Amino acid sequence: MPVSYIEAIRTGLAEEMRRDERVYLIGEDIGVDGGAFKATQGLIEEFGPQRVIDSPLAEGVIVSSSIGAAMMGMRPVAEIQFVDFITPAMDAITQQAAKLRYRSAGTQTCPLTVRVCYGGGTGGGLYHSQTNTTWFAHEPGLIVVAPATVADAKGMLKASIRQDDPVLYFEHKRLYRTIKEDLPEGNDFIADLFHAAVRREGKDATLVTYGYMLQVALQAAEKVGQETGATIEVIDLRVLNPLDRDTILNSVAKTNRLCILQEDHRTLGIGSEISAIVAEDAFDCLDAPILRVAAPDVPAIPAAEPMEQFYMPNVEKTCAALHKLLQY
Amino acid sequence: MATKVKESAAVATASSKNGGSLISDDKLKQLYATMLKCRLLEEKALGLKKMARFKGNYYAAVGQEAAVVGAAIDLRPEDAVAPSHRDFITNFIKGVPLDAMFSQLYGRVTSPDKGRCAPAHCGYAPLNIITPSSTIAAQLNIGTGIALANKMLKNDNIVVAFSGDGSTSLGFWHEALNFSGVHDLPIVFVCQNNLWAESVPLRLQTKVEDISLKAQAYGFPGITVDGNDVVAMYRVAHEAIQRARNGGGPTLIEAKTYRWYGHSSIDPAKYRAPEEVEEWKAKDPIAAMERYLTQRNLFTPAWKQQMNESFGKELDEAVDFAEKSPQVEPIECLDHVYSFDIRGRELDRKTRTPKYQK
Ligand SMILES: Cc1ncc(C[n+]2csc(CCOP(=O)(O)OP(=O)(O)O)c2C)c(N)n1
Ligand SMILES: [Mg+2]
Repeated sequence: MPVSYIEAIRTGLAEEMRRDERVYLIGEDIGVDGGAFKATQGLIEEFGPQRVIDSPLAEGVIVSSSIGAAMMGMRPVAEIQFVDFITPAMDAITQQAAKLRYRSAGTQTCPLTVRVCYGGGTGGGLYHSQTNTTWFAHEPGLIVVAPATVADAKGMLKASIRQDDPVLYFEHKRLYRTIKEDLPEGNDFIADLFHAAVRREGKDATLVTYGYMLQVALQAAEKVGQETGATIEVIDLRVLNPLDRDTILNSVAKTNRLCILQEDHRTLGIGSEISAIVAEDAFDCLDAPILRVAAPDVPAIPAAEPMEQFYMPNVEKTCAALHKLLQY
Repeated sequence: MATKVKESAAVATASSKNGGSLISDDKLKQLYATMLKCRLLEEKALGLKKMARFKGNYYAAVGQEAAVVGAAIDLRPEDAVAPSHRDFITNFIKGVPLDAMFSQLYGRVTSPDKGRCAPAHCGYAPLNIITPSSTIAAQLNIGTGIALANKMLKNDNIVVAFSGDGSTSLGFWHEALNFSGVHDLPIVFVCQNNLWAESVPLRLQTKVEDISLKAQAYGFPGITVDGNDVVAMYRVAHEAIQRARNGGGPTLIEAKTYRWYGHSSIDPAKYRAPEEVEEWKAKDPIAAMERYLTQRNLFTPAWKQQMNESFGKELDEAVDFAEKSPQVEPIECLDHVYSFDIRGRELDRKTRTPKYQK
């Protein structure tokens, strides 16, 4: 039976909680209400309010209490209802979680997972649509992942919980109920936390993306392929920090053309870093300038549909970039 | 819930004087000796700083020893301490070796953090002292999480979390107290109200006179103590620690005290009236305890002299140890970022091996 992305998250959490009693959940409305998107529905019934904690409305202490508990050997999974509201936890994440191991020379660590709901295209407006992955990809000490498939939603969540580092797990709200897959069952199904994945093989151009934009990338690659006969290699980054440079560089060495597709706005985004990596390490491989498809540099995503569509990268914009890249 | 505010320190001290003392003579002497050693330790650190023997800045708690010693002296190794920037001496009180502490000042390879944090920001994992960040009040929230874990793990370990008057203006401070209250966590918040946050006086920090009042908003006891009276501090902290251990939840202790010197070793503290400083120096917690012990026939100048000498020697040895300890290797900059090694990753980037030629 195919399961949805959000069911994969829910069963991933439940399996880890059954496997390891140190795993507990904390966040706003995650208990009785089962979460804003119902990712944790039913878990308080099975695990009780001690392990599914309806926190006060305070992102700072949601994350920072998890840091302290993780130091003592617990395995907290904190939920940030919308990434737009993660800023009260910014100190906790960037100054505390990211730096605790470093500042104590490895003697104090905080293996915690922060599940972060993100992404636009649902009419959520300025404060329910942001991406902001870049803020955290910029912070050494954090692992930042953005699963784009149902298998990764489950496998990477379970791997994050078991990882001895703070992990930010970005889940796109538009994936929750739009994609389904058959999943292997059982505790042993965990996914790799370190490598990008080639989701579609190709030899004429490389299209790098992550999260919900994988859906857009695959459609654009298919369409451009039909139109031009070119084959586009699609790379799903999966992990935004630390970046898997080799998978990108190997692909560019083969295709000699690179386009990066990101939902986040353009300036100093993931695409900027990937462009720099390729420019530094594979300049000689390039047959065309690197292109980026990204949201415009405006403060956030407007709610009104015309502007939202203008803002969001989509299949059309991506196809246009790919055509340009191939024609250079 | 009854909220006690302002138990007079004089009462606490007096009642312990009146026969049936809850505090043994040995404990009284230990309180004094520990304060004296903290003073000697910090004066030593400041002296070294003046001579530029180590780099960076030092934040001395000289004048505030009673508050820190009274709160931390009875902690078990398993109990956690969440120190702020001025709480270097909590390490000594909890039993961290002087060699490690002075190595911390010097940033040597023998320091607990292998040369990473600022000199006064010392933590120590074996004794559950959180390695502090410099973000004011952040340690309270991490301490809160440790207390949450202690409760979940059903042990009777507690957390003592230190903060200053300035920190009470930050959202973090309130998030920590609120959460601890909601979950009845085993944590004691010790706020050292030394009337100043760098150059900002208390009246620009908060409208209320007693910070302990703020506990009322979070549903647990808050108490103001004369933070220069180590016996009062000890009694109040002892009770709060017992309460926390027995599942009674948090307490906020406001210790009214004063820092003798500048905010840090580079601050001449010109913003304070000299009379104010003199007034507080006259309330020296160590001298006060000396008078109290003398009254009780527990003090002799010879004892103090002997401690000055023997501890002075221990300090000199620790300084010597630190100064002779090796520097960290430059490449260690790349260590302890993740649970896995990143040296290779960064080094490959440096050599730029032409791996990806067309
Ligand atoms: C969030 C934050 N803001 C500013 C600073 C700079 N700073 C360090 S200590 C301090 C004053 C702290 O005052 P208080 O809490 O009263 O502690 P005290 O220094 O008096 O011990 C300031 C402003 C900081 N470290 N963190
Ligand atoms: Mg102060």
